[in-house]
Amino acid sequence: MGPDGAPGPAVPWRKVLWERQPFPDNYVDRRFLEELRRNEGIRQYRYWAVVREAGLVGQQLSCVAIFITLWLYMEQGLLSPESLLWTSLLCALLGYGLFEALRPQVDSGCEPRTRLADLQSAAIFLSFTFGFSPVLKTLTESVSTDTVYAMSAVMLLAHLVSFPYAQPSPPGSLSLNAALFASVCLGSRLPGALHTFAMLSCALLVFALWPCLLHRIRENAPGQFGGVCVGACIGGVGGLGSQWLGGAVLLALALGSVTLLCPLLLVRLQRHKDNIQGPWDEAEIREDLGHFLH
Amino acid sequence: MVLKIFFPQCCNRADSGLLVGRWIDGHDSAVVLAVIHYPFIPGQVKQYIQEMQAQSQVELSVLGSWSLPKEGQEGMESFLKDLSTIFPQGRWLQVSREIDKMGFICQVLHRDQNGKTVQKEVKKKKDEQRGSDDDKEEEKEEEEEEEDKVIFVHYEQRKVMLSQLHPIENGVRDPKADPPSELQQVFQTVARSDPLFSQDKYDDGPLKSTHWQSEGREGSIIVELLKQASTPLCLLVGWLLAIWTWICGIRILHLYPMRFLSSKLSTCTQLSYRTQHMTTLSSPSAAVGHTHFMRKANILVSFVVDVALGLLLISWLYRENRITLVANTLVPVADHVAKELEELLQWLMGAPAGLKMNRALDQVLGRFFLYHIHLWISYIHLMSPFIETILWYGGLSACLGLTFALSLLSDMVALLTFHIYCFYVYGARLYCLKIYGLSSLWRLFRGKKWNVLRQRVDSCSYDLDQLFIGTLLFTILLFLLPTTALYYLVFTLLRLVVVVFQGVLHLSVDFLNSFPLFAMGLRICRSYRLAEGVKFRVLCEEPGTALHLLMEINPLTCSSVVQNYRTPTYSCYPKDSWAALTKKLFIGELVYPWRHKTTKVD
Repeated sequence: MGPDGAPGPAVPWRKVLWERQPFPDNYVDRRFLEELRRNEGIRQYRYWAVVREAGLVGQQLSCVAIFITLWLYMEQGLLSPESLLWTSLLCALLGYGLFEALRPQVDSGCEPRTRLADLQSAAIFLSFTFGFSPVLKTLTESVSTDTVYAMSAVMLLAHLVSFPYAQPSPPGSLSLNAALFASVCLGSRLPGALHTFAMLSCALLVFALWPCLLHRIRENAPGQFGGVCVGACIGGVGGLGSQWLGGAVLLALALGSVTLLCPLLLVRLQRHKDNIQGPWDEAEIREDLGHFLH
Repeated sequence: MVLKIFFPQCCNRADSGLLVGRWIDGHDSAVVLAVIHYPFIPGQVKQYIQEMQAQSQVELSVLGSWSLPKEGQEGMESFLKDLSTIFPQGRWLQVSREIDKMGFICQVLHRDQNGKTVQKEVKKKKDEQRGSDDDKEEEKEEEEEEEDKVIFVHYEQRKVMLSQLHPIENGVRDPKADPPSELQQVFQTVARSDPLFSQDKYDDGPLKSTHWQSEGREGSIIVELLKQASTPLCLLVGWLLAIWTWICGIRILHLYPMRFLSSKLSTCTQLSYRTQHMTTLSSPSAAVGHTHFMRKANILVSFVVDVALGLLLISWLYRENRITLVANTLVPVADHVAKELEELLQWLMGAPAGLKMNRALDQVLGRFFLYHIHLWISYIHLMSPFIETILWYGGLSACLGLTFALSLLSDMVALLTFHIYCFYVYGARLYCLKIYGLSSLWRLFRGKKWNVLRQRVDSCSYDLDQLFIGTLLFTILLFLLPTTALYYLVFTLLRLVVVVFQGVLHLSVDFLNSFPLFAMGLRICRSYRLAEGVKFRVLCEEPGTALHLLMEINPLTCSSVVQNYRTPTYSCYPKDSWAALTKKLFIGELVYPWRHKTTKVD
């Protein structure tokens, strides 16, 4: 039956154009759009699961806030570099212990880093930073304060944007580099070379080593992960609040919107999704090299 | 069919006789070279022509007869016609002229295959007085035969003989090239027929001929004397050169430092260049071909002018002891330059032009360069007692030519501004290192690296320590960039000033070396010797006679003279285009804007 209602001839219609058929070229039968699929890959989000995942974003935001707080304290002379250094060392050791404790029992297949390699890396970091800190101190002497603040802000924003939230363990190059650049800029504004050294060590801890630990926690102790994120957020807001109340309010708002509001929006807006797929889509090549191995 | 006959102007009023010349194959033309007068014996004429042909390699033949009847010489017509039987030719020209008329009359006799001569008359109007039937065949024959038109092109024999048509063909002809044009063949024929013109009217030979030298052979005492003197002179110069090249070939002079120095100093290059020239000049054999002759002449004249200018310079310098004046002002000038440089560095170490520099790096670089200047000044003061002697003897070397004096000046400037060159090299290397480091670390910043095999940028996963150290270094290099860039800029500008000055000196040396003075003089004074082409002027166009044209030589333009006859030199030319130069300056690569073409060492 065609769309004009007239009874069709006895020969069935086939969906080919290279054969002369008694039907017109634009004829379709009742199997039209049979292969249309709607909203095929849609996932069912559950609110609290999404909130949990978004916690990582909020957590990272608070890390940046904590870092800025520490810098503010150092700049005003309320925190001495030695105490910061000792605290960082302590936190590093604690973190390292936790990292080792949470190592998965089953070997992942590739060789784990030996203690010696870790010690070597730590030695390189410390020696380089200590050696370069006088140079780093004088780097932004001739640059005006506003420029320094602007550069740092842009770099920290870049860090937040390019952070590999899906898999924080090998740290993304751009995010880590941007964070370190910002820390060098800020650190060079401090009154002494030791301050710069302390700042840089702290930056290393917060931006390079903490995400590795976080990743490990998320993998192996998912229950505690939520608690850690909440703790970080509270720490961030509190720390910023002690120096700058307005900033704390802003941070709290940002955290609230990212962690609570945005997942709500995501879940609510799913029902407005309307994707259609069919055989007219471009072919997707899935690189599955597995079948070569069999 | 149009027949062109090239007729020499000197034979316009010659007595009656035989026309001797050459038919140009491929074109319907003939070149008349001389007229052999009566009385003559045909056998002797044939022998003479064969002798001339052997000597000059030109295919001479008797073209026809010429008659300018004077009083009492009637009845020559039949005699002239009979001559055509004695000298068998494909075509026989019968040219005649009457004394009071301007134009010539020419009759061309063709020989057809039976050996009968068929006459074709040259008249503007055809004879139409045949009407009978049995003459229809003749009519048809006449209608089938075309009219012969003859054009006489008059040329001045002496000028055409001495002239050289451009573009010049050298050596063996390429068989695939076009055959030589008519004009080229005419010029070649006249130029090579020198043996034909060696007999003048005062010689006692069996034949009397008229050509451009028949009034008496051209010669000049000075030229003859020079020719006599040139051989022993060449031998002497050759012997001196042999000694000089032997000295230069001593092994001790070929050790690495001496070799390096001699390749950098422009005086040594100029010396070797002049030695080459002298070698060319001192070969005792005569020049082969026009190009070789011009090259030798140009070299000789340039050299003489060069030495004359050098002697002029010496006389000006040494009169009133100007050279000691120059020597006495040299050390104070060097001191002044050093003081200016020190002030410049102090300015850079402060806050130049309001730019904020990194203080520590500024101080380090500034102190380093100041120390260098101090060293340099001490060196100059050490040398100051010897400077006057050195300059005095160095100035004497200008007697070898002005080019030497200029090269010496350029070398001295290079030596005196050596410290500027050093500063430039330091600044450029530092800047270049920085730029490379920055570009590589910027790639690390973004998480990419350079793939050397594929020559492209690829992504790369770095280790934590690599990332950390890379970022630190990137920050440091980035913030220190303005300071280094400023130092680099200042020293590059200074170096460029020196380079430009040296370049001007080198360019003038190059100009003096390569400008073809002799060729230019020839073009101005005797412009017919270098010909680019010819132009024609109508001489006489009377009805009943042939068309007469005068061929005048069109000389080569001055720019083509320079282009053709430039002596090739180790010319000094800018190595890079402007875009490449700017790019090199931006990156920090060392720039040597003037490059010499390396001379081949045999």
